[in-house]
Amino acid sequence: MENFHIEGSTYIPRVDFNAETGVLEIEGESYHEYTMEFFKPIFDWLDEFLVESGLTITLNFKMSYFNTSSSRRFLEILTMLEDYSKEKSGNVTVNWYYEAHDVDMQESGEEYSDDVDLPFNLIPVE
Amino acid sequence: MISKNTISLNSTIWYLMNEIQEERFSIKQFKQRLEDNKISMAFQGILSQDILTLVGQSLRNLPNNQVLAKRLFGLAVEMTQNIHHYSAQKIYSDKDGRDIGMGIVCIGQDEDFHLITSGNYIYEKDAKVVKERSRYINSLSDEELKQYYREQRRAPQRKDKPGANLGFIEMRRKSGNPVYVEVIDVNEEMSFFILSVKISKEHNQNNINN
Repeated sequence: MENFHIEGSTYIPRVDFNAETGVLEIEGESYHEYTMEFFKPIFDWLDEFLVESGLTITLNFKMSYFNTSSSRRFLEILTMLEDYSKEKSGNVTVNWYYEAHDVDMQESGEEYSDDVDLPFNLIPVE
Repeated sequence: MISKNTISLNSTIWYLMNEIQEERFSIKQFKQRLEDNKISMAFQGILSQDILTLVGQSLRNLPNNQVLAKRLFGLAVEMTQNIHHYSAQKIYSDKDGRDIGMGIVCIGQDEDFHLITSGNYIYEKDAKVVKERSRYINSLSDEELKQYYREQRRAPQRKDKPGANLGFIEMRRKSGNPVYVEVIDVNEEMSFFILSVKISKEHNQNNINN
């Protein structure tokens, strides 16, 4: 399966999903006006990737800002991974990186970790 | 060929235009009014992604307070995206290949707080919805807001609405203040919708020290 890459810009994040290593990385800012359109290829790739059972997956989440519309899409991604770990014996870990001073991104991470049943590491970056 | 008549007609129009402009609209007075009201930035027109990015980025340059700058930026994003999607006044943009909402956004500040306020036309049927929603969201405590946000984020995407239905809740949470909503009746079909949020400089400064 092909790896997936989106080059980030001011309002869209860099996305790097590696099918071989199972490392999924999202970094930057996300405030596209039409997140359903922007995230569509991301969901399509994940749908295909998550067909095979028992994979080890690491989601490295390195966002510094996202709007409410993206926040919904991220919950959808996390829910997909949660379902995968439960139904297809996946081994999924989420690493939530945030700048150490950024109380808002920390709180966001805490809220997502309460919302999904996945190993969730909150990692402050100095 | 330019005749003598054309020239005199043109200069008459020019003269009239100047008169009209002086009487009805003076950009100098307009600037003065913005300054008197401590408005540092005002934008009117289509709230495209490009405009939002520019307006937003200019708010990120607050010195020594990245959390406050990002919150203010976040408020501007939610507010302008509301207008982009839900303004009743839309114009087709070639670049974006779709209709984009028009409205006005102003940002100002006082010694104690930043204020961001926006205005746009909405359809009459939406007026009641925004009034009730803002009233409900303003009545919630911090903990209730947090729960409501998570509950709404889990709810299915609303049909034909690109937004997340989380904007008001986010503005309440990020600003720590109520969202002020005012709806002015215009005609049977449309109303003018004003949305304002204050964000305290001191409160957000404390957050960083904690």
